[in-house]
Amino acid sequence: MKQITKHLSHYLSLFGILIVATFGLIIFKYDKTLQTSIVVGTAISYVSWGIIHHYLHRDLHLSVVIEYILIASLGLTMALSLI
Amino acid sequence: MKFFRKLRHLLIPHESNNHKAKILHNSSLTIIIFGFLVLHSVFTYLPNFGPKILGFAANISPDEVIRLTNEKRVTNGLSTLTTNATLSQAAQAKGADMLNKDYWAHVAPDGTQPWYFFTSFGYQYRFAGENLARDFSDPTSAVDAWMASPSHKENLLSTKYKEIGVAVVEGDLAGVDTTIIVQFFGTNLVDTTPETPIAEAKAASTSPTPTRSGKLAVAPIIAQISPIPTPTPSVNPALISAPSSAASSKVLISPFGTTRGISLVTIILLGTIMIIDIVLSYRRRIVRIGGRTIAHIAFLGMIMAIILIARAGRVL
Repeated sequence: MKQITKHLSHYLSLFGILIVATFGLIIFKYDKTLQTSIVVGTAISYVSWGIIHHYLHRDLHLSVVIEYILIASLGLTMALSLI
Repeated sequence: MKFFRKLRHLLIPHESNNHKAKILHNSSLTIIIFGFLVLHSVFTYLPNFGPKILGFAANISPDEVIRLTNEKRVTNGLSTLTTNATLSQAAQAKGADMLNKDYWAHVAPDGTQPWYFFTSFGYQYRFAGENLARDFSDPTSAVDAWMASPSHKENLLSTKYKEIGVAVVEGDLAGVDTTIIVQFFGTNLVDTTPETPIAEAKAASTSPTPTRSGKLAVAPIIAQISPIPTPTPSVNPALISAPSSAASSKVLISPFGTTRGISLVTIILLGTIMIIDIVLSYRRRIVRIGGRTIAHIAFLGMIMAIILIARAGRVL
């Protein structure tokens, strides 16, 4: 909780990206090409957010970047096998 | 005891796992991703080598597809389409042809156009169109998917069509038990007053050159002046019979349903462990270098929304 209040603007931007992406997926639920683009775009945005956030927080390490990439890859693998 | 220790090591932050559940470590996440890739590969390539155990369960009646189509037309202020048995037979033949020749397209690999099936059954069309759908579990989802696609919607809501025929065929398509919906639209040449004056129609008189696959086609006007005799259909019985082996094959696993189920369980499991991780890290005041667990939960939450929204089925 302390993390969220300390970096409120960071988290708001992340939640904003994810909410917009979710609405986009609902609106274009029968357009698989657009859905794929939204999911890939969101995964890239998520990793970028992680890198920028940790860079600003001065705790950016390779293992952290890999962690974000792995979580994004896991989400992508699941989503793309269903879209 | 040993089992519980291993379980704690896997799921709860502890000294043994460097105060972070082992399943959230990068190595474990890599294994989970690899597992999903293997699962996806199995569902993609199993039909080529293994037993025919993959398929999509569906309960779709052609009458319901027609009813829903007419419902959409009425909602949009259009007249309803009349069910035409000849069109339904032609649609059945198209579906059987796709299963027999193992293709999913408007035009068969040997170049057979959709319009061939119209004329084979003696349906002389002024306008004709085709919508295809596969792997939908219910007719509402299929009609909604057509309505969401501009080109298919154009066919569904076209004022040019007066009649409709729908067939639902089930069989083996590329190794997977599949349900295909074939929707044929048409306006019989006999029943329609030409929209263009006869003189102009004469000039435009050409043999029909049906448009190609992909785009939902409206066949060009065929100018006819003399009345057309009632067609005497002469149909090859092979046209309307789907492969019998496909009908008798038993479906055991739905690739979509299985992937969806496993993905949901994985996300709920990871999400729960992440929440436990946040609570315990906060209480024990654990400081460590790593990604933000709240961000991971939010991202996986969006993926969970995709999994819940995702519907099996494709339209063409």
